[in-house]
Amino acid sequence: MHAEMIDYIRFTTISPESIKKMSVAKLIVPDTYNDDGYPIDGGLIDQRLGVIDPGLKCKTCGGRAKSCPGHFGHIELVRPTIHPEFAKTLYMLLQVTCESCHRLLINEKQLTELNSDIEEALLDNPDVSLGETQSDSSVKDSMLKRLKNVKKCPYCGTEQRKIKLERPTFFSIGNEKLRPDAIRDWMEKISDDDLILIGIDPKATKPEWFVITTLLVPPVNVRPSITLETGDRSEDDLTHKLVDIIRTNQRLEQDIDAGAPQIIIDDLWELLQYQITTYFNNETPGVPVSRHRSTRPLKTLAQRLKGKEGRVRYNLSGKRVNFSARTVISPDGYLSIDQVGVPPKIAENLTVPFYVTQWNIEAAKKLLESESYPMVINMIMKDGMRKRATEATRKELLEQLVPGCILERQLVDGDIALFNRQPTLHRVSIMAHEIKVLPGRTMRINVSITFPYNADFDGDEMNLHVPQTLEAQAEARYLMKPSLLLPSARTGTPIGVQQEDQLAGLYLLTNDDAYFTKSQTASMLANVGVYEFPKKQEKDGRYHGRAIFSMILPKGLDFAQKSKLGDVVIKDGELVSGVVDNTMVGIGRADLTLLIYDKYGPEEVRKFILNASKLSLAVAYISGISISLSDYYNSDKLNKERENIINEITAKVATLTTAYREKKLQPLPGMTAKQTYEAEVFAELNIARSIAESVIKKNVPISNNAMLMSTIKARGNILNYVQTSMLVGEQSVRGERAKRGYSGRVLPYLHVNQKDPLALGFVASSFLGGLNPVEYIIHAMGSRDSAMSKSLITAVSGYLQRRLINALQDFYVENDLSVRDASGKIVQTIYGGDGMDPMMESIAKE
Amino acid sequence: MAIDKKYQIAPGEAVGVIAAQSIGEPGTQMVLKAFHQAGIASVVRNSGLPRLIEIVDARRRPKTPMMTIRLQKQYRMSYENANKAKRQIEEVFVKDLLSGFSEELKTGKMHLFLNKSKLESYELTAKSVSNKIASNDSLEVELEGSTVHVRIKSKKERDIKSVRTIFVHIRNSLVAGIPGADKVQILQDQSDNSFYLVSSGNNILGILDVDMVDKSALTCNDPFAVYNAFGVEAARNAILNELIKTFSDEDIEVESRHLGLLADAMTLTGGIKSVGRHGIAGEKGSVLARAAYEETVKHLINASVFGKKDMLTGVAENIMIGKQVTVGTGRVKLAIKKEDLEKIKPKA
Repeated sequence: MHAEMIDYIRFTTISPESIKKMSVAKLIVPDTYNDDGYPIDGGLIDQRLGVIDPGLKCKTCGGRAKSCPGHFGHIELVRPTIHPEFAKTLYMLLQVTCESCHRLLINEKQLTELNSDIEEALLDNPDVSLGETQSDSSVKDSMLKRLKNVKKCPYCGTEQRKIKLERPTFFSIGNEKLRPDAIRDWMEKISDDDLILIGIDPKATKPEWFVITTLLVPPVNVRPSITLETGDRSEDDLTHKLVDIIRTNQRLEQDIDAGAPQIIIDDLWELLQYQITTYFNNETPGVPVSRHRSTRPLKTLAQRLKGKEGRVRYNLSGKRVNFSARTVISPDGYLSIDQVGVPPKIAENLTVPFYVTQWNIEAAKKLLESESYPMVINMIMKDGMRKRATEATRKELLEQLVPGCILERQLVDGDIALFNRQPTLHRVSIMAHEIKVLPGRTMRINVSITFPYNADFDGDEMNLHVPQTLEAQAEARYLMKPSLLLPSARTGTPIGVQQEDQLAGLYLLTNDDAYFTKSQTASMLANVGVYEFPKKQEKDGRYHGRAIFSMILPKGLDFAQKSKLGDVVIKDGELVSGVVDNTMVGIGRADLTLLIYDKYGPEEVRKFILNASKLSLAVAYISGISISLSDYYNSDKLNKERENIINEITAKVATLTTAYREKKLQPLPGMTAKQTYEAEVFAELNIARSIAESVIKKNVPISNNAMLMSTIKARGNILNYVQTSMLVGEQSVRGERAKRGYSGRVLPYLHVNQKDPLALGFVASSFLGGLNPVEYIIHAMGSRDSAMSKSLITAVSGYLQRRLINALQDFYVENDLSVRDASGKIVQTIYGGDGMDPMMESIAKE
Repeated sequence: MAIDKKYQIAPGEAVGVIAAQSIGEPGTQMVLKAFHQAGIASVVRNSGLPRLIEIVDARRRPKTPMMTIRLQKQYRMSYENANKAKRQIEEVFVKDLLSGFSEELKTGKMHLFLNKSKLESYELTAKSVSNKIASNDSLEVELEGSTVHVRIKSKKERDIKSVRTIFVHIRNSLVAGIPGADKVQILQDQSDNSFYLVSSGNNILGILDVDMVDKSALTCNDPFAVYNAFGVEAARNAILNELIKTFSDEDIEVESRHLGLLADAMTLTGGIKSVGRHGIAGEKGSVLARAAYEETVKHLINASVFGKKDMLTGVAENIMIGKQVTVGTGRVKLAIKKEDLEKIKPKA
């Protein structure tokens, strides 16, 4: 299974001799199929190049479409042609070598200098061997730059004429054209020693190969033709381009043979050069794009490799997989954070390999015999043949079952799988979950583990991958489960958190007035699998929620924390006082969860999160939270306060405006009076909302359910409340008040240079009261601005992410805790200065 | 510093990827355009995602270069002293001191009328201004009351345009202050009520010449300026501090070790390298890794000309050829002794 691995990859250029050696056919016909629909010999679909039609046999290897890998062919160009991608290199070589003796234009003194410089560079970086990375070094580059300006050859004394490259591929020397054949001759004459000095390894690459005489033609497998429904064939873009090349080549040959005038030959030669240029890269600057009949630009070699949809990033860096599933996700409060609910349809289709050995062959037999749900789908024989297990074949397969076979059985509870949501922005966007097959057509997870995936259930879909080797399964199971990755590597705070209804439930369970009858207590505790009553019972026979909550805390736990809802004290696993809120179990700061993780380990914390989730939902069945519109009605007092705020801000803006108009406004440093006015007015109007916020905070009691939800961070924040019942506040467009529209005003409804809060973008109405038309439009302007900046920021930050990962992806921690890059260079002598795991940072700080 | 094994990083851990993800992931939560914060007094500075990108790109000209200048112990508690320091630092140009001027372009004369109250507010005298202008040898300067007469010395005929240019140049010349420090503000530290200055510009060496300044506490938000003044180590810390500030301004929590690793990666070679095509990612040893990032064709062609080897030591290369990656569990090899292998072999 483990074939010998590749040690390294060396990049070179290919010689015409090698091309001829590997070629199986010289292609001479600028066409594909003949009138009978049969491939033409010597054409571009020549059967020696391999076959793609299922019925045909390859004329080189005799293989059929599936087994024949394809073979290369070649085209003999009657006139040499510049390889466009190497034109720059050729230009450099022409500039640094003598036009008559073709030696490197380096004098003795420079040569010794260069050699010592190289030696020095090698001392700094001893792991590079000569001739390999030399060209990278700035020593070489600066030397070559100097050589380009040498006027006279130090060896034969010839005056050097100026060489020009007219992009992409046309060279001239002095005022003469420098044709490709002349360039090729020149390159041939550069000595190997000089090439080594330039950085080219003559054993790998000869510069004359940058001028093409023999063109390699890829096998048909690389450029398959598609048969349309109508029976017409549609050829690949490369084939089209190659047809053009052969046709031009043929015409050029005929004209040369017929002794046509030089101008005509030159014209055709140039056309051939164009065809070759676009064959390699159809986006070469300065060259008209070669197009298909339908005016679509042709996708030639460079385009196949390049960019996000190119070969490298699409097929080599990114790979498609089997054994995966995708469907909509939904919540399930009874699943632990390490589990995922999988619908039967998916469980029946995905498989896990069962490696048959002499010790488990009995179990294997049983499995293979099964004719209903957990059954074998495929059997892989010792020779690697994969056979489908059906009712008909099962008996036969049973006889062939021996140690060494692999059975592919359906997914069952307890199997491990990787669960992923895109965009996969960090490592906890892919985690391992244990399979739990559950009815329905959606995959389910606990709300507590949606945070790292950034998932919600408004139609989100997620992917499931089943690891196939034992090694991969073990890594998933022992390294990638949420409970093992609980503290986030970014912040050190837990990724398994209580949210929304769970936080509401925990508040309802642990606030001061939370008493429950015996039967309520019993049913809640039974929900989490606790079948005894709390020790501490109230006089009237009821139980306090804190006593109930204490039942899911680990024994011996001590915890204390100040909180705005009353100080929390846990003593020996008993919640003595305080409300369990988001600072203990919620996003960003889950100190209690973290403490349990640190003291009791992943398994206990998994249980705690699950039990807290179950318990909180059980509370919600008994006493839930609901809100109504009336929660947002203002009292008379609040209405008065609101009016005051608006009057005050109106007055403030008026004074500022008068001051500005009378030129009495003191400009702030570095600002004009106008900018100062804008800044101050904008700031003042923004403050109005925070004043409203503090008024709300003071006057709306926590018994108001809308207020309660925002206080315990279950849903919504105080800003939502303020905007609903008091005032919406100042709208901003591009970081300042809405300004654009008409000269001196935003809307024609307003007066020119009107400067009251409304005209300055201040929405004094509340959502409940309703916005007036001007406010409505200004609000829409603000909303549009934020919608646009949101879409822009995802694009910008996505690219930043890609760049960061590309820059840092090779860094790893060595056994001595130093951080190294791919070449072993030390980045940090000890990771982070102390060698601490970022996941543990929050914990260790305690 | 020995650290509890329980809290120690696991050897092999792909800390680079973790750092990159930790920095990149909250990018979507950052704002694109900074609000002018409610407190108007503070200087407008680049922030949020654009600032993060600016740091990471190692831009040579940041949008809002700025210096925070603390004063020596004996000066820092009084506003007067802070103001004095401010006057020494803030740029004052000739034009800032004028109530008006007149030009005689034909004769090459200019008369500058200095404004007394403006001079006083900058604590300058007419004499010092005229001396400053006279420091230019090609000018003849005469002070008459509060008027400075300037004449261009040269005898040869000058055209009006060039005379004009010289005059404009004189009016834009610096009388006092540190070049580049055009906006200086006095702020008060909430923690110990000391006064400090915030100045635009990145002329670190200029500020260090001012005596009242606490030279050990000067900071600048332009890593390149810090690099030029103090070298890589300081530049590395400047990058780290700027990264920390950018994230804490947005109330986004990121462990500083991730930011530190990025700063170290950027300054690994002794200069400041950017993240991306022209920096760290573009200078990787591996041909395939570079080809997988950007400019695919260019890298492949270049590799073939010079016969480059790809030793397949990085992550991207190994993904491409289908080998295990060289980080994390991919680094760990399992070995077993031959005799132990015999023990677990199934008996035939």
